[in-house]
Amino acid sequence: MSSPRTGRRGRAPVLKAYGILVFLFLYFPMVIVVLFSFSPTRTIVGLSGLTLKWYQELFRDPALLTAFWHTILIGLAAVAIATVFGTAGAFFISRVEFPGKGVFRALVMLPFLLPGIIMGLTLLIFFRNLGVQLSAFTILMGHVSFTTPLVMFQVTSRLSRMGPTYRWAAMDLGATPFQTLIHVTLPMIRTALIGAGLLAFTVSFDEIVISYFLTGTWMTLPVYIYGMLRFGLSPKVYAISTIIVILSLVLIIFMAKYTGRSAETYRVRKKQG
Amino acid sequence: MARRVSSPREFLKGVPITVWMLALVVVPLAFTFVMSFYTSSGLMIDQTLSLANYKLFFTDPLYSRILFKSMRLALAISVLSIGAAFPLAYLVSFKIQRGRNLLFMLCIIPLWVSYLVRIIAWRTILGNRGVINSALLALGIIREPITVFLYNQFAIAITLTYICIPFVFIPVYTALEKIPRNLIDASNDLGANEVRTFVNVILPLALPGLVTGFIFSFIIALGDYIIPLQLGGTEGIMFGNLVWSQFGFAFNWPFGAALGFILFIIAVVILGVTARFGTTEGGFLGE
Repeated sequence: MSSPRTGRRGRAPVLKAYGILVFLFLYFPMVIVVLFSFSPTRTIVGLSGLTLKWYQELFRDPALLTAFWHTILIGLAAVAIATVFGTAGAFFISRVEFPGKGVFRALVMLPFLLPGIIMGLTLLIFFRNLGVQLSAFTILMGHVSFTTPLVMFQVTSRLSRMGPTYRWAAMDLGATPFQTLIHVTLPMIRTALIGAGLLAFTVSFDEIVISYFLTGTWMTLPVYIYGMLRFGLSPKVYAISTIIVILSLVLIIFMAKYTGRSAETYRVRKKQG
Repeated sequence: MARRVSSPREFLKGVPITVWMLALVVVPLAFTFVMSFYTSSGLMIDQTLSLANYKLFFTDPLYSRILFKSMRLALAISVLSIGAAFPLAYLVSFKIQRGRNLLFMLCIIPLWVSYLVRIIAWRTILGNRGVINSALLALGIIREPITVFLYNQFAIAITLTYICIPFVFIPVYTALEKIPRNLIDASNDLGANEVRTFVNVILPLALPGLVTGFIFSFIIALGDYIIPLQLGGTEGIMFGNLVWSQFGFAFNWPFGAALGFILFIIAVVILGVTARFGTTEGGFLGE
């Protein structure tokens, strides 16, 4: 009896209208930012022509370009460190049994679950007590704190769905644990690693709540833009915001390609072929 | 199944993540806890342990009033986020056949688009020379820009709801997708109409996702300080700003540490209580 279900699907006009409203609510603000970045005047009511001059102005702001570069650097470094720690953690949590594992898992998840303000202030207090000056290093550690669980749980979920059978098969065929890791496990979690890395980079690229606590004079882009906001919303702010939106979208599209079940089946099928 | 304990050599795998956890989570929390018992005297920090900060928090009604105001607002934001995200998740999961994956992506894309850009967008929309005011002026509904949109709790609520919608959508959608579709068929076959099926079958099964989404948005809204700073004005001083200001111009780190620790306890209690009902991961950390 599948006909009632298929019959029900596709109707519900009120729900659909409501859904469209929520979509408008979700996308309208982003459209506004993009429109303002191309507007020669500061309003969009009576938008007269489009201009790229605000984008040209961005390139004449060396401090902004430096901040942009810093953000990329922090993102790459955070992803590199988080991938190592997170992947090791994923192997640990999915293969090693010990009492109190639930508590351990919860502690690892904390930076993800707690409000950013708590991570920010605890790290600030920690570093200042150790006499560490606020610098690129403190920002990087802040970013490592929240990107590591992201990588770890992406890899853990891939490992748990993969199951231990492939690994056992490799061992039965005489592979050493190291060979099994290099030739079986790592290729199978490769797409999860890439997806997790992209996710971690995207989150790091936009992060401000924790970074704001840990920033001295060395700034990342969101903190720099936050400083620009003190002088009001300038067209330059919209231009850099638009660039950030586009970059995020590109990263998300790549991320979608590498995470999820589709990436996994592709990988396995290719192996068999 | 009895839980076995792995051989000691296996625990070497846990060294990196344990180091990370101690260095960036546990020890910083411990430092904060200790500092919350110090006191601040001018620019110096007095390291004699005392309960002064906690006493100040619990005796001066100013602070608990701000905390309750923030909790009330966070509650409103959670309800609004569920009101927006739950019908959307139900629509995508149950009513859409073609293009479902694309719609799902479209619902969660805002999550990964810069938090700061989204704040800038709402300032642009709500501001005195913003989109709403310009539109109302152009339509001749008002003659002067009206200031009711920005720098109040309304501005915080709308922006944080906007931020929280994907955080509710993901766990709710994950829960809805897990509902076996033949349960719906069974309910229909037994003569239940769509409303009854929704109330008696779908809603109870979606509850863990709803609880997770609710908790996520509540904690995000309660802990946020950037949005109240940017859009709240003087009327919108929230607990997050209060904590932040102790590290900024108020320069009272020990009191800030105590306030931060109180927020930590609130978050942990909420997470602990609801971990029984929802899944804490809520489909975020898995794929």
